[in-house]
Amino acid sequence: MYLEVESLEKRYGHFAPSVSDLSFSLGQGELLGLLGPSGCGKTTTLRMISGLVQATSGKIKVGGQDVTGLPTYRRNMGVMFQSYALFPHMTIAENVAFGLQMRKARHADIAKRVESALAMVHLSGVAERKPRELSGGQQQRVALARALVIEPDILLLDEPLSNLDAKLRDNMRGEIRDIQQRLRMTTVFVTHDQTEAMAICDRIIVMNRGKLEQIGTPHDIYENPATPMVAEFVGRINRLEGQWRNDGAVAVGDSLIRAKDDGGTGRVLIMIRPHRIDLSASDAKSAVSPEENAINGTIRHVTYVGDTFQYEVATTGGLLHVEKATSSATDPFQPGDTVTLRWKTRDTLTFSTEVAG
Amino acid sequence: MLPTISRGLHALGIISIMMFLLAPVILVFPISFSADAHVAWPPSAWSTRWYVALLHNEEMVTAFRNSLVIAGCVTALTLVVAMPAAVALTRWKFWGRDALTSLFTAPLLLPSIVLGLAILVIFAGYGLVGSWPGVIIGHLVITLPYALRVLITGLSTMPAFVEDAAGTLGADPWQVFRRITLPLMTPALVASAALAFIVSFDEVVISLFIAGTQLKLLPVSLYHYVESWTDPLVAAVSALLVLGTLGIVLIVERAIGFGKAVSK
Repeated sequence: MYLEVESLEKRYGHFAPSVSDLSFSLGQGELLGLLGPSGCGKTTTLRMISGLVQATSGKIKVGGQDVTGLPTYRRNMGVMFQSYALFPHMTIAENVAFGLQMRKARHADIAKRVESALAMVHLSGVAERKPRELSGGQQQRVALARALVIEPDILLLDEPLSNLDAKLRDNMRGEIRDIQQRLRMTTVFVTHDQTEAMAICDRIIVMNRGKLEQIGTPHDIYENPATPMVAEFVGRINRLEGQWRNDGAVAVGDSLIRAKDDGGTGRVLIMIRPHRIDLSASDAKSAVSPEENAINGTIRHVTYVGDTFQYEVATTGGLLHVEKATSSATDPFQPGDTVTLRWKTRDTLTFSTEVAG
Repeated sequence: MLPTISRGLHALGIISIMMFLLAPVILVFPISFSADAHVAWPPSAWSTRWYVALLHNEEMVTAFRNSLVIAGCVTALTLVVAMPAAVALTRWKFWGRDALTSLFTAPLLLPSIVLGLAILVIFAGYGLVGSWPGVIIGHLVITLPYALRVLITGLSTMPAFVEDAAGTLGADPWQVFRRITLPLMTPALVASAALAFIVSFDEVVISLFIAGTQLKLLPVSLYHYVESWTDPLVAAVSALLVLGTLGIVLIVERAIGFGKAVSK
């Protein structure tokens, strides 16, 4: 493993720790996302890896070498800051050259490497300008070039896309991924945007209140969330409360629901993604396969958002949100319509609430 | 019709406020070129005799030179002390930091007559009254809080994380200071230097207490001169002071304007 983090902890004074008991490891060339709501400790973690914040306890190893005690300037990590943090009094070329000068690279060498770094981020021709003369997107490319030109052991990106507008954000996201793959650069990417993390990360760590909730591939995180927090953080989801029965089903209100897991005791939280539920007119009676749940309900509310209809359906189990792609072929359901909701049992997530309470 | 009148009134208001503030300063110039033996308005004739008299007034010339040298020393020492202090107070986290900041800038609030008296009492015991080091230290008490305020503001309004960024690129703390912090705080340094110079050069109360009779300083000599004479010589001195101050202000304006152009 290339980057190893072992039981990392950061405390400020007597408050609850900002980060605690955080361990993970990262292979060479892997792109890891640190995902979580604001204040979850993801930026603190990134700053501990870069050395800008001293860990209270725990270890950080790069390539097998313990760097926990090294100051930032000895760590050789490329950091891209949310505000870009370009040096306002230097030209773009001087900004990019700074790290090479600190490494005492040869003059001719510096010029050549600065040029190729700027070319890599598609920014040739602005070398002599000052940061304030560039747009936000361009400044960001400079920041990326500046972080990469020093050939860092690890690239650390702190919410790099959050200051850009939506269109630019998607482009830049793809470009960061391209460059990262091309250089096989081990990268840690901090974000609070789950789509962003899913789109480009090899693996994602979801953090909450300073703790690791789950680490896994984007697919794992979305399909098999380890905790209700993870399930709710990555995408929209319905939650229902029920009780395990002896036959392996869950009683929710007056309905019976079968889940992926079959068996448990006590109270249980059931979660289903809104777009995994199918809606049909309730008179269309058809056999219910054992891999399916089917319950009846009444449409309460319809919201049209262009690509989907968002339905609120009152069922015998409780209120459920359902998302359907819009289509010109079929008419949407109206409030008051009675419908049957069907979804696969394997799309039904369960979280026992007995222990957590 | 109405807007024209209100706009006229508006302009008139601004002009009268400007006149009220600046009239005494402007008036000094014509009076300094008076040929009369007393300050009078309007002068009966024009001449440069009071500028010539000023050049031959040995006390004034000496006092002027002394004040310049003192202000220069005070300015240099102010920067040497205030700059590290400002860096420590803004960049380091330690217990009691805010309290120290308040303490160091508190002399701004004290009446200088209180400070002057206190300093006199202390300095008398060490034979510092009437000496160059005494006056310089006395002035530092006044100039340091000003400079510290300006430098702290300059340091805390620096763009976020640029020093961190330099660190991640391999710059050690000294290189960060020299290549990043220092260039970015140049406008604040120029401003605080100018402020320290003007405040020291201008200081009457503390100087009155500490300079004594042996060490001549311009504001003190001027003060004593006005007590016994009423001729336009003081107007000539004042005119030169106004021009000198204007020059310093222009330099600062250039530096800060330049600074704004450099930063984001």
